[in-house]
Amino acid sequence: MKRIAVIGTIYKYLSHVQHMADRFLVGYPHQGAWHRPDMKIVSLYIDQKPAGDQSQERAKEFGFSVYPTIAEALRCGGDKLAVDAVLIIAEHGDYPRNEKGQVLYPRYEFFKQCADVFAKDGRSVPVYNDKHLSWSFEKAKWMVDEARRQKFPLLAGSSLPVTWRLPDLELPLGCNIEEALMVGNGGSDPMDYHALEAMQCMIERRKGGETGVRAVQMIVGDAVWKAGEEGRWSKDLLVSALSRSDTPMGLTVEDGRTQDLVGTGQLPKLVKDPAAYFIEHNDGLKTTLLMLNGAIRDFNFAARLKGSGIQSCQFFLSPVPNVTYSACLVSKIEEMFASGKAPYPAERTLIVSGMLESCLTSKVQGSKRLETPQLNVKYQAPKTSQHART
Amino acid sequence: MRVESKISRRDLLAGVAAVPLLSNAQTRPARPKIAAITTTYFKYSHAQHIVDRFLEGYGWNGTHHYPAMDLVSLFVDQVNDRDWSRDRARRFPTMKVYPTIAEALTLGGSKLAVDGIVVVGEHGKYPRTEKGQTKYPRYEFFQEIFKVFRASGRSVPVFNDKHLSWNWPWAKEIYDTAREMGFAFMAGSSLPVTWRTPSLEMPAGARVSEAMCVCYGGVDSYDFHGLETLQCMVERRKGGETGVRWLQAYRGDNFWKAYKEGVWPKDLVEAALCRSHTLTPARDGFNNILPTMEDMQRLVKNPVAYRYEHVDGLKSTMLLMSGLVKDFNFSARLDKGLFSTQMYLPMPDGRTTLANFFSPLVNGMEQMFLTGKPTYPVERTLLTTGLTSSGVDSLFDGQERLETPHLAIKYQPTRESTFWRT
Repeated sequence: MKRIAVIGTIYKYLSHVQHMADRFLVGYPHQGAWHRPDMKIVSLYIDQKPAGDQSQERAKEFGFSVYPTIAEALRCGGDKLAVDAVLIIAEHGDYPRNEKGQVLYPRYEFFKQCADVFAKDGRSVPVYNDKHLSWSFEKAKWMVDEARRQKFPLLAGSSLPVTWRLPDLELPLGCNIEEALMVGNGGSDPMDYHALEAMQCMIERRKGGETGVRAVQMIVGDAVWKAGEEGRWSKDLLVSALSRSDTPMGLTVEDGRTQDLVGTGQLPKLVKDPAAYFIEHNDGLKTTLLMLNGAIRDFNFAARLKGSGIQSCQFFLSPVPNVTYSACLVSKIEEMFASGKAPYPAERTLIVSGMLESCLTSKVQGSKRLETPQLNVKYQAPKTSQHART
Repeated sequence: MRVESKISRRDLLAGVAAVPLLSNAQTRPARPKIAAITTTYFKYSHAQHIVDRFLEGYGWNGTHHYPAMDLVSLFVDQVNDRDWSRDRARRFPTMKVYPTIAEALTLGGSKLAVDGIVVVGEHGKYPRTEKGQTKYPRYEFFQEIFKVFRASGRSVPVFNDKHLSWNWPWAKEIYDTAREMGFAFMAGSSLPVTWRTPSLEMPAGARVSEAMCVCYGGVDSYDFHGLETLQCMVERRKGGETGVRWLQAYRGDNFWKAYKEGVWPKDLVEAALCRSHTLTPARDGFNNILPTMEDMQRLVKNPVAYRYEHVDGLKSTMLLMSGLVKDFNFSARLDKGLFSTQMYLPMPDGRTTLANFFSPLVNGMEQMFLTGKPTYPVERTLLTTGLTSSGVDSLFDGQERLETPHLAIKYQPTRESTFWRT
């Protein structure tokens, strides 16, 4: 039975550690059955223990130990690496923000300590890193490179790429994408990251795969609407993405009506602080993320494909507390822990980490367009679909 | 679609030879005129969800779709201080509110003047029967509609929201009259047509021995949705629907006793629960955990089961487990193993702001109004209407097993899937 170390920031109800690590302890719904992983959490490191901390009670009930350092957790108190897999979940908890608004979660620091133990002990094991790799692309790149140097499988990212889609849309591998647009909501930098990664898991399937990002720009406020008028983002794609939303605000909340938020001109009235993230890929593809707080509360994607027109879907974030979408993600993590192969490339999360950081840099630099030669990240999409569809 | 109904065989045989009593053989107009006959029109009432989609359009196939027809007349039985129908009439001058059903159908004239009718007899204050059924006036609405059809010498397609009536003989009479008059007729719930997570269809011609729906809500209410969830799947089995032989309802202690004794298969309940997105955590501090039997007994205060056997031997079970789930989950035992999915309702109870499961329902109506042919068989809803009524009867009659010879309703499903997948 595979032995897992969990390295997390906080372990309290509805934190990422709780809802992901718990699935290894009590099982989770998967493909119509209650799946109990044939693996065992043997050690835990928790960086902060706020009120409501569950680390000790979980350790007691499920028979594992909480260690004061990451190295000890990985070595289970001994002198050699004593686990077969590491789950790094550095989301939630009290961490400072930088001037770009990024929360400085210690993902790189956690990962580096794991990598140091691997290097010292002469053995490495699969690592999952929850969400983006780091707030810093440079650090994120080091993480992916280090995994390659030490030859251990690395999986990272959001649950959005693996959750159910409404409808169950998968773009054909090798398709010709003319433009793509994502609509999201929520704060930066957690939710814009999710939205960018959702878009990335769709567009990486285009002809030639991902070629890297050559420039980004982030604009906010009325400039976002003006950019739409000027055709910098496609209104048709926005209409299509919003047609997938189950959460239009404004008049729908008032009297229940359906709305064409674009056609009726309601959108600018509802969104006080719009933001547009423009991404220019090396192969010429231009994609846009619109964060439309106040207009909708879900995540919707649209793309124009050569030959087949506009395709769109919602990435279904199932309700709290079950957040069953995280079961979809845990099943992918488990798959990597069991097989030693990441089901999809960490480069997806690497490039998204980088485009997000650069967009936020653009924002604090007065929405300047930034060349991003460092984001020359090339990779191919997995051949088989990875989202929940069975 | 082949329709065979044992109970109405005599009527059908008569009908096959005879010319329909009323002419419905007209060319379909380019933009059909639609009348909506409703009980009440408040925010998130069924009438608001349905009629608004005709007026305001709705998200469909990746765009904001406006139906190629005009909803020109509206009848609302109960108008209260939460009413939005007057606001809609003001904002959409092409739609007029009429004080009677006859006027809504004749647009104030003397003859039927619309090309399609939507009946939404759900919500509103109506008395209850001694068995707890709400006496929504669907039958009464239909009597008014039939009067206009007869007086006009013609009939038009009709969609009826939810079951045909709380009262089986009335439901049967509505169905028989519709057949006699020969108009295209559709009815039912959103459950058969909404999204599924995952997006799976029961394979056509599947061999199914047991089917299960684990859902929530009350009797003569969401039980109907649970039954429609089951029926839209099992009707695709080998041979199609054969009708139902008997039904037995269970509630309270009887329910738990039956559950523990294995009256319905426990593995199918678990398979259905594993499709839920709203499983109440059975333990504090856990967000998603499989409940034990004891947990379920603690969480579910008023469980209800309807278990029934189809004429071909298939057994189906519908469990109302309020307190445990807030969604509709289906599972079945096929000869190739277990099959399960969830019929996903984006419910505006805080999770969403729009009940978009009404979109595929309205789209199904639109197709009928444009083609003059029902998008899926009304016999499905005739059967689930009868099952709902028998479920209520069994609960009222000491939870006895009731023979249901009147539900020997045979029909075939549509060849193509009609649930939301685009």
